[in-house]
Amino acid sequence: MSARGAVYDRGYRPYDGPRGGRAASVLALYKASVRRAVGLRRSWRQKFLPLGLLAVVSVPAAVNVGIGYATRNSPLEGFSFFTYREYVGVSSALLLFVAVCAPDVVCPERRQRVLPVIFARPLTGTDYVAAKLGAIFSLVFAFSLLPQVLLYVGQTLVSKDGSLHYVSQHADVLWKVPVAVAALALYYAALSLAVSSLTARRLVAGASVFGLVIISSVVAHILNEAGALGGRGPLFNLLSLPLVVRDLVFLGHVYPQSPLAGVAGAGALAVVGYVVVVAVSVAVLLWRYRWAER
Amino acid sequence: MPRGLVGLVGANGAGKTTLFRLLLGLARPTEGAVEVCGRAVAADPVGSRARLGYMPEHDCLPLDQSAADVVATLGELSGLPPRAARQRASEILDLVGLDEARFRPVGGFSTGMRQRVKLAQALVADPELALLDEPTAGLDPTGREEMLALVARLASFGISVLLATHLLDDVARVCDHVVMLDAGRLVVAGPTETLLRQTGKLTVEVNAGVGRLARALADRSLTVVADGPFRDDEGGSVDVVVGTDPGPVLDTIRDVLADLGLPLHRLSSRAGSLDEAFTLGGTLDGSGGAGPGGWGP
Repeated sequence: MSARGAVYDRGYRPYDGPRGGRAASVLALYKASVRRAVGLRRSWRQKFLPLGLLAVVSVPAAVNVGIGYATRNSPLEGFSFFTYREYVGVSSALLLFVAVCAPDVVCPERRQRVLPVIFARPLTGTDYVAAKLGAIFSLVFAFSLLPQVLLYVGQTLVSKDGSLHYVSQHADVLWKVPVAVAALALYYAALSLAVSSLTARRLVAGASVFGLVIISSVVAHILNEAGALGGRGPLFNLLSLPLVVRDLVFLGHVYPQSPLAGVAGAGALAVVGYVVVVAVSVAVLLWRYRWAER
Repeated sequence: MPRGLVGLVGANGAGKTTLFRLLLGLARPTEGAVEVCGRAVAADPVGSRARLGYMPEHDCLPLDQSAADVVATLGELSGLPPRAARQRASEILDLVGLDEARFRPVGGFSTGMRQRVKLAQALVADPELALLDEPTAGLDPTGREEMLALVARLASFGISVLLATHLLDDVARVCDHVVMLDAGRLVVAGPTETLLRQTGKLTVEVNAGVGRLARALADRSLTVVADGPFRDDEGGSVDVVVGTDPGPVLDTIRDVLADLGLPLHRLSSRAGSLDEAFTLGGTLDGSGGAGPGGWGP
């Protein structure tokens, strides 16, 4: 009996299943952007930097918990390298993270001219901005929060007075950390995406994000030292501005050792500066993708 | 425009891509209104895009992702649930002949394979209408044949196609209907068959008096195509556009030759072409057989 092959032409099957609307398209773009930023479904080289940075920022928490565990029966019990407030916004690592991830989710689509096929789908320029902003916000939020969670859980477990006592003593952290982290995430996501949207080249975008923040920091510091800013230097420093907002969340006022401590209304000015930076960044993003609204 | 395969023909800069942008709601008309698949684009540009597929002329694919990922992601962006998008991506890539290559990065694909991925992403959400902008651009003859064969099958899947190209031959082979643009203006539109029939010609060759013959034929309301001025006393040939019914034209030619007493050397017919239709433009009647809705500027 001989075996007989067969050729099946499956042809084309029309799709008659459910279809989502704009919200489904935005969610799909959001998920695709998150996947892209962390290197999922891409080569290990694309995963290395974001996941490596996450590991790096988690090291202090691990070390802190480790020392806490090792010294739990000694006079050093309760030793801490840093407070939760200080650990929110490990700025250089955060900056490096957004300088890597934000350009990666917007620049290639412009450079490889993918935008026309994206905007041929049922979504608008505003939807596109919302999805990208949401993706980077989520990543920065997770990037900043995970080490905090590690620190909190670790400290809770190694606390000499017991976990419940530690939790009751640090209950405020449970809302202050997420709020402060969210404020930082929104700030860095908006700023980094706005800068990245201005160029099609990832390297240029990454360097621009990094350079803009660092240069503003140096210039603000120099002008502040020269007395030109009346002690308000940190308000013009893109690196320290979100940290002032963080301090407001944790302390309710600016940090006493901050150069802003003596400035009247420094807290309100910092909030205004924060809102201006975020609003201008979002406006730049909407302007860059306005062509899909025409 | 009717359902089916419609060719959108015009030189570079004729307005083909602009028309696509208008249909997609990415540009607004300076006057008039655009309606796609029964929806007013100006009122609901996002909703009208939901049932369209668009294949741009230029490169538009993320090079570092696999074809399966690209098509599935764009399927999700069109509103398909994730699982359905992946399944559809697999089926469509199979359909366009990229079954085994679909897990390789697009960056390593040839031009022909990239064109297939571009077509696949336009079809993944099962559109009512696919807008294909120069799908055979950059393809070698074999690739061009295969792409045209794919496009020709789409109508049988229930997908209408608007095929923009400057290659009239592609349209003549694949499309049931033709729309011709020039500098943003409609030149002529109608069923391909009608336009080809209308542009069929008779070549009338005489040994002398070709100029008089041309004038007399034109006086009898026939369309005479001439490459240059005729001399009355010289021999030569004139092309006469036949139109849909050759009978009266042949009668007129016979009568004119008899009236002028010119010796007929040769009378031959030539099939029509879309090149001729584009040249003749507004003198043609493209409305024949357009069906409900008809054609019009």
